[in-house]
Amino acid sequence: MSSDPLMQVQNLTVDYVTEDGIARAVNDVSFDIAKGEAFGLAGESGCGKSTVAFALARLTRLPGLVSGGQITFDGEDVLALTGQNLQNYRWNKVSFVFQSAMNALNPVIPVSEQILDVIEAHKAGDAAFSRARAIEMFELVGIHPDRLDDYPHQFSGGMRQRICIAIALCLQPKLIIMDEPTTALDVVVQRDIIDQINELKNQFGFSILFITHDLGLMIEFCDRIGVMYSGELVEVNDAKTIFTAPQHPYTIALGKSFPPLSGPRVRLEGIRGAPPSPMNLPTGCSFQPRCAKAIDVCATKPANLEAQSDGGLARCHLLNP
Amino acid sequence: MQFLLRRLGFYLGAFFVAITLNFFIPRWMPGDPTTRIILAMRGRLRPDQIDAIKESYGYGGTLWEQYWIYIVKLTQFDFGISTTNFPEPTSTLLFYSATWTLLLVGLATAIAFAMGISMGIYSAWNRGGFFDSLFTPINVMLNAFTPAVVALLLFYSLSLEWGIFPLGRAHALDVFPEWSFSFVINILYHATLPVLSIVIVTFGAWHLGMRNTMINLLDEDFVILAKAKGLSDRRIRYRYVARNAILPQVTSLAMSIGFVLGGAIITEIVFNYPGLGKFTLSAIQARDYSFIQAQLLLLTSTVLIANMVSDVLNLILDPRLRTGGQH
Amino acid sequence: MTPPDISNIAPSQQALMKELGVKPRPKWLRNLPIGISGLLTNKKGLAGAIIMTAIILCALFAPLIVNHNPFRIAGSPHIRPGAEHYMGTTRLGRDVFSQLIYGARTSLTVGFIAGIASTVIGLIVGISAGYFRGKVDEVLTFFVNVVLVMPALPLIIVFAAYIEKATPMLIGFVLAVTGWGWAARTIRTQTLAIRSKEFVLAAELGGEKKWRIIIMEIFPNMLSFIVGGFVLATIYAILAEAGLEFIGLGDPSAVTWGTMLFWAQRSQALLTGGWWEVWPECIAIMVTGAALVMINFAVDEITNPQLKAGRNSGKVKKYLAKRGRSVDVF
Repeated sequence: MSSDPLMQVQNLTVDYVTEDGIARAVNDVSFDIAKGEAFGLAGESGCGKSTVAFALARLTRLPGLVSGGQITFDGEDVLALTGQNLQNYRWNKVSFVFQSAMNALNPVIPVSEQILDVIEAHKAGDAAFSRARAIEMFELVGIHPDRLDDYPHQFSGGMRQRICIAIALCLQPKLIIMDEPTTALDVVVQRDIIDQINELKNQFGFSILFITHDLGLMIEFCDRIGVMYSGELVEVNDAKTIFTAPQHPYTIALGKSFPPLSGPRVRLEGIRGAPPSPMNLPTGCSFQPRCAKAIDVCATKPANLEAQSDGGLARCHLLNP
Repeated sequence: MQFLLRRLGFYLGAFFVAITLNFFIPRWMPGDPTTRIILAMRGRLRPDQIDAIKESYGYGGTLWEQYWIYIVKLTQFDFGISTTNFPEPTSTLLFYSATWTLLLVGLATAIAFAMGISMGIYSAWNRGGFFDSLFTPINVMLNAFTPAVVALLLFYSLSLEWGIFPLGRAHALDVFPEWSFSFVINILYHATLPVLSIVIVTFGAWHLGMRNTMINLLDEDFVILAKAKGLSDRRIRYRYVARNAILPQVTSLAMSIGFVLGGAIITEIVFNYPGLGKFTLSAIQARDYSFIQAQLLLLTSTVLIANMVSDVLNLILDPRLRTGGQH
Repeated sequence: MTPPDISNIAPSQQALMKELGVKPRPKWLRNLPIGISGLLTNKKGLAGAIIMTAIILCALFAPLIVNHNPFRIAGSPHIRPGAEHYMGTTRLGRDVFSQLIYGARTSLTVGFIAGIASTVIGLIVGISAGYFRGKVDEVLTFFVNVVLVMPALPLIIVFAAYIEKATPMLIGFVLAVTGWGWAARTIRTQTLAIRSKEFVLAAELGGEKKWRIIIMEIFPNMLSFIVGGFVLATIYAILAEAGLEFIGLGDPSAVTWGTMLFWAQRSQALLTGGWWEVWPECIAIMVTGAALVMINFAVDEITNPQLKAGRNSGKVKKYLAKRGRSVDVF
């Protein structure tokens, strides 16, 4: 892996402008994704990970607003892209895989058209070339090219997700953002898809931003993981360390809430309370009301994301006094 | 195909309900049509003559016998003898006037649908812009005007006051009906205001329906994906959003025919247009029951056929209905 | 990691609100139940509600406002609007203004009652079909579809032809009986959607009686649809009633907006230049219809907040442009 990160996110802040006030969905998030790396973004529902993903892909929808921060991809300022440059960025450099493949595919047009239209939108070439490429992508994900002209509802859930992956790959992007790609699938199919993604990643060398709330899955699949809580990154480290030696109280509590597959039965511990309202973020640490190890300063001063001794980052007063 | 068969079953069922209603309503009401005639004769009829009259109007025999005869006659398109145009069979006048009404309804629906849908697409895409803020409420409010009022106003202003359009009828009296270009133009000229009345009152619904459906679709994953793919604005608008949004509109199209027919009937009366409306009105005044009942059956069948056409359209447009497939 | 670029740090939430120029709703507004607060803030809905209230008040206080008896001949026929007769007299000598205000009473009453009746029928049928499902649903849906498909006016014409004198109330009854289809269908769809939600399942498992579940759990979630359906049904009833009376299917001796039109047409008021006999009731019908439609708009937007036109897109774009960001948002 070369030293220059592929994607650099600095102080990203995303707000939602509502008639009752401003909801801060993402609060000062910073992380890097290296070339060929699988970076995971973990956290509970509503913590802002999807919002980060959409911001990176320039898909932030009104009333959402990227109110601060910088996103750099391969040296380009993503948030300033317009017109033709934005078109080039879309799908060519960064593509997206959604959670529900059934909803991600247009139900009334054949699947072939859905993969051909993106090829034709970006690459001037004749129809034969585009079609050949589509067939190639289908074979890559293990779907028979004969089915190219079928409609989305004629495929099973797993196959549909594979079609979405094929579409995501067809322009050979450098980064693929996957927002909960396997959450809607059953466990067996999940395994299939993850294996397939891994294989393709090794073959083509693209980076992945992998978003899920399934920490276990993420630890297996990702190289590095960032844990988000209430719109902030609370810990970033490589997967192994997050699993064996989590540092932030939230990460530790998350780990404790997963039942172990083997070994003696342990008492499951949930995390009491609920995340703070994004309309009114607290002055101190966001996790403080639910933290078992909170100290006085936690309620009054927000913590900063600082580098730790093992190379990771963490946002906690206990770790960064 | 199963889908179509099921729908056909429903239509036959609905038609059956209509026929039955048609049969029973007159028999529920106090008195029967024959009483009038008998009274008019001031009791100078012999019993067997009274029976004969009752028989010819379908009131002879027991209820079941009447019903059976009624059904049999229907299959032969025998709607009875018209009292207004005695002894012409009702069917002659019925089919003649129905043709004109269907011309109005057909033209009006096609124009209103095309107008409304295009405006709806534009409004949805430029949500909150000038066109949307101004025209969406206006068009929908037009929808809330009764066709009687609109027809009257148009008639008063454009036909009466300013004489731009004719005062009525389907075509000028001195023009011989034939399949010539000038005749067709003449027909269209006379049909303009009636069609306009109906269009004004109906296109708002299509506008709003299409706009709202499209706006709801904008949150769907596949639309966001289309945007993420970097597809042209045009392609997303038509091939992704509108193409999906039109499906429920096609379904409501069939349901709206019944309503449009009602509006057409009222409009015809204002414009003295020789359609079902005008003749039904005179039939009511003359108590021509066979005509009145016949028009219900004819219009019901028209609506059912329109529904069938809409189902076929749905089948063509929505691949999910065609092939069974997994979900 | 490269040091952060400070120039693009986001302002705090409060500062951002100020910069965008977005003011939050006042607190008292936020504490109202969602329906009322939605209606008050929605400009269209508010306008519609005000107009409607004005019309209803006029109708209620009719005896105080009018100065002539609308049912009897009040003066010479065909007088132009003036001091004695605010809107002139009809070709038969009745005072148009009095007829208009009294007509409002009947037209509105019939409209509202027919609207309520068809909404109630639609509600009962819709909830039953949606909640009990199975055979009950199949049978009920069949009838709903039949009612939806049956052309209303021709059917009403058949009814009216056999009824010698169709009073406005009778017309209202027939309209209710033929117009409940749409409400039933919408409510059924909603019931099906809510029914499968977990809190209903929980109530069932807890042993709550079926009717209690329907009233306490399912019903409150459909309020906006029911209100919307009611407004639509009322619009339909008022307009249809006017239309029916216009073509002569009503009771000519009644005083409603529709019968006013009927008599105007009958006595050829337009052809003889008597515009004052035609325009008042036309405008009354149009304004009432428009007011109800605007209320319906508001109900739609409360049910489905996506439909609201304004999303502060202008303010957002200005903010982005100021910071040198791309304004390409959607």
